[in-house]
Amino acid sequence: MKTATSIATLVAVIGLSAGAANAQEGYFAGKSIDVIVPFGPGGATFVSAKFLEPYFEKHLPGNPEINVIDRPGGGSILGANWFEQNANSDGTTILFTTSSTANPFVLGQKGVEYNLADYRVAYSHPFSAVAYTSPSTGVTSAADIKSSKTPLIYGGIAAAASDLPGLLSFELLGLDVKSVLGFNGRGPVRLAFEQGEVNIDYQFTPVYLTQVVPSVEEGKAVPLWTGGSADADGKLTQRDPIAPELPSVYEVYEQLNGKAPSGIEWEAFQGIASVTYAYGLTGYMKPDTPQEVLDIFAQAVADINADPEFQAESQKVTNGARLSAGPATEKAIKTALSPSDEVRAYLKDLLATKFGVKF
Amino acid sequence: MLEHVFAALDALTDPIRLLALFGGMLVGMVFGMLPGLGGVAAVSILLPFIYYLDDFSGLAMLLGAVSVVYTSDTITSVLLGAPGSPASAPTAIEGHALAKQGEAARALGVGFLSSMVGGLMGALILLVAIPVAGPIVLMLGTPELFMFAFVGLFFASSMIGKDLAKGIAAACLGLFLGVVGPASAAADFRFTFGQVYLLDGFSLTIVALGLFGVAEAISMLAAGGGISHTPIKVSNWGAGFSDFWKNRWLVLRASIIGVFGGFVPAVGASASTWVAYGHAIRSTRDKSKFGKGEIRGIAASEGANNATVIADLVPTLLFSVPGGPAAAIFLGALFSFGYYPGPRMISQNPDLMFLIVWSVALSSVVGAGICFAIAPTLAKLTRIPFGIIAAPLILIMVVGAYQATSTMGDIFMLFGLGALGWMMKHAEWPRAPALVGFVLASPMEQYFWLSNQIHGWSWLLRPGVLIIASFIAIPALLNIYRWLRNRGKAQVDAAAQVLNLPASEDHKTISLILAGLVSIAFAYAIWEMTGFNASSRLMPSLALYPGLLLALWLLYRAIRDYAPATSSQFKEPLILIVLVVYAIALWAIGFTIPTIGLLLWMLFARASMRLVPGLIYGAVVFGIVWLLFNVLRGDAPVGVLTGLS
Repeated sequence: MKTATSIATLVAVIGLSAGAANAQEGYFAGKSIDVIVPFGPGGATFVSAKFLEPYFEKHLPGNPEINVIDRPGGGSILGANWFEQNANSDGTTILFTTSSTANPFVLGQKGVEYNLADYRVAYSHPFSAVAYTSPSTGVTSAADIKSSKTPLIYGGIAAAASDLPGLLSFELLGLDVKSVLGFNGRGPVRLAFEQGEVNIDYQFTPVYLTQVVPSVEEGKAVPLWTGGSADADGKLTQRDPIAPELPSVYEVYEQLNGKAPSGIEWEAFQGIASVTYAYGLTGYMKPDTPQEVLDIFAQAVADINADPEFQAESQKVTNGARLSAGPATEKAIKTALSPSDEVRAYLKDLLATKFGVKF
Repeated sequence: MLEHVFAALDALTDPIRLLALFGGMLVGMVFGMLPGLGGVAAVSILLPFIYYLDDFSGLAMLLGAVSVVYTSDTITSVLLGAPGSPASAPTAIEGHALAKQGEAARALGVGFLSSMVGGLMGALILLVAIPVAGPIVLMLGTPELFMFAFVGLFFASSMIGKDLAKGIAAACLGLFLGVVGPASAAADFRFTFGQVYLLDGFSLTIVALGLFGVAEAISMLAAGGGISHTPIKVSNWGAGFSDFWKNRWLVLRASIIGVFGGFVPAVGASASTWVAYGHAIRSTRDKSKFGKGEIRGIAASEGANNATVIADLVPTLLFSVPGGPAAAIFLGALFSFGYYPGPRMISQNPDLMFLIVWSVALSSVVGAGICFAIAPTLAKLTRIPFGIIAAPLILIMVVGAYQATSTMGDIFMLFGLGALGWMMKHAEWPRAPALVGFVLASPMEQYFWLSNQIHGWSWLLRPGVLIIASFIAIPALLNIYRWLRNRGKAQVDAAAQVLNLPASEDHKTISLILAGLVSIAFAYAIWEMTGFNASSRLMPSLALYPGLLLALWLLYRAIRDYAPATSSQFKEPLILIVLVVYAIALWAIGFTIPTIGLLLWMLFARASMRLVPGLIYGAVVFGIVWLLFNVLRGDAPVGVLTGLS
């Protein structure tokens, strides 16, 4: 449901627009920015967009009004296609989305009308993922994951969607995991874990902090590793600030194999995982958006990261994750969105032979 | 605990919070009454407003809306026969039949009271969420969820009616509609014809509106302005109260069914409503009145749907797993206020928990009271010629359908499925089994697949599975026992009581066309299915092979009985064509011009209104619809050719 006009109406009605009426200086003075979320209201992406809304209103020059608008459907493809056809190229329309939009583009799925690799990246927020297992497997840390007492069962939604980096991490680490796909959300998977139906799982930031951490404290779950966060080159070699005590997938590989990961399995994991985790929630703009607008957003992101109020709130919600923007972020995302032909072929082959995905 | 109970009540009696609760309730009631717009629309429209309130007021506002949607939708379902929300389709069938017999007050009274009980039952379950409901939710693993859906489909067989072939063919058609889109078992997209629109499958709202709402609106328009019809009177609530009291245990059982429906993610209010309705049929000795105005059908379905939507909050609050779409938005609102649901939230924020319970309980009671107060006035509106009511009804259904993805696909689907529903109505294919098949196809497939993947076949012996299976087995055993005991005695077979309406020649033509179209669709689908992964073929096969055989048999029967129509007075096909033209015009030239044209045609040509009142009324309807579009979606459909909306 779109909420843009109703917010505008309400603002007009209760007179909150009085502040904006003061002729303000700045690029976005008197303008409004539509943030298009291609998922339903109440979902994690929508909630994150609402969380960031006041900080962008505060720190963008001219204090524009920001409307978060949801356009669900087609596994986020419908909303992204709508953006391709209708968005303005002056920074007043932003597509805020996840790897659910990126993966179909990377894999060349039918129906995709947007060329995501050409889009400009306005800002990005990490979406950390933590792997954990059930104590019934006898596993006590990432190091002994290969000596599980019971077969590992992973629950997921669909191989070509947000489960892809998790599945690729199992491939990379050489784990024998049975993947049961077909759940209709990570919430139901989490429930199936509690019920003992699956015993290895990945959960994203808010659910990890509110559900998995208490389970760990009660001894009902064993945390294993995180997807990792990006170093200066955009490689996922660093520990994730959400759980700095846990190794990254990169480190786990090193620990198990005595050498740094390389080869096609690592390339594929690195590419897909960086758009899913390190740059999990990204605000895209049309390719012909002026560089000036991108610079303005980069500055706003720096100001937001320095805002003590944002720091305090994000400490509560995401364990202090920060936004990123600017040329390095854009380069990392564009690299991940344009994998080499070998990686693309590897992904397609893996998905087709192991998970029955048709292209 | 007790101090939290009263602290929460005290917190709620703050004037601003009460105002927010009642404000939300009013929005919920209006959206409940508008066909196609239900809890999700009400909660979404309120969502931006709650950010201007404090946390308790904002959440109370959403809860007020959620709690009354399934109470007020009874009014639309009974008075107009178009379901106010998908989950009140059984009420539309039974209640509207009663209204036509002059017993609208009885139907409404039982509906409101049952809804209230359902809401209170939901509130009670929330109250005991931590000690009782939590463990129950954890006991419902995927095999139990599969069994729940299977029981629902089994009960749907009770609704098949007098013509077995048509009933089962309709159920197959529903299952077929339900498997369109992504397969849960393997990465196949089924029957999407390369359309991105179909990647998520059909929207429940659009299927319910199309099959029931559009078909009813077409009949209303065909009835026109001059045709006499008896006004629906709503007076004498007494009969409703005594009916409710007679069926109090049924309502209670239905509410419990509803609560279980709420515990199960993805099995929403529509599924548990049908399960409860099926239970009402099974537990009623004289089944002859079902489908023709059976008060027990209303009592059960209204008791269940309200209980489900409240119980949806249990998994939401305990496990952050929304039980239904409105609960998903509520979860988002909780996040925005800094509450992160989970086992800890309930011990950390007991005040919030009890505030939720009080809000739900208060809205359920007050909402039912308001419905009693406004229903007689609303019933007077039905004395206006049907054509005049049909005009806003059709446009509001367009707005409602457009909420799904806000692409033109929504509107084409609405009228496409409307045409299907209309043909089914006249070819006497029952639409209820089709809707149930649609609702249950995907959870059944999904949970069957997951159960077998995780547990092998051993899941069949899980205690939870056996308990749920006993819902089928015990009534079946009782029936066998009764049959054995009564052997030799004269049997009154409900199913044999055939309505002896001579099928008109027009209906024969429609039967022929429908059977032909369905045969072609099923045959094509079987061919396309050969390209799927084996696990994605199972569910469609269950629908398509028997469906094709039945459709061919019905086609043979229709050809055998066919008689070409002589001078026909049948106006409905014309109206269907106008609506299809309207949909195409919306796509081509945008919202404004075709809608004004359709309004003029409906009000003057169909309802024969006089010029001045017609123009004023038309302008008001257009204004309201335009406003709804703007408030809900931000924009109306824009024409491809003109770029105008």
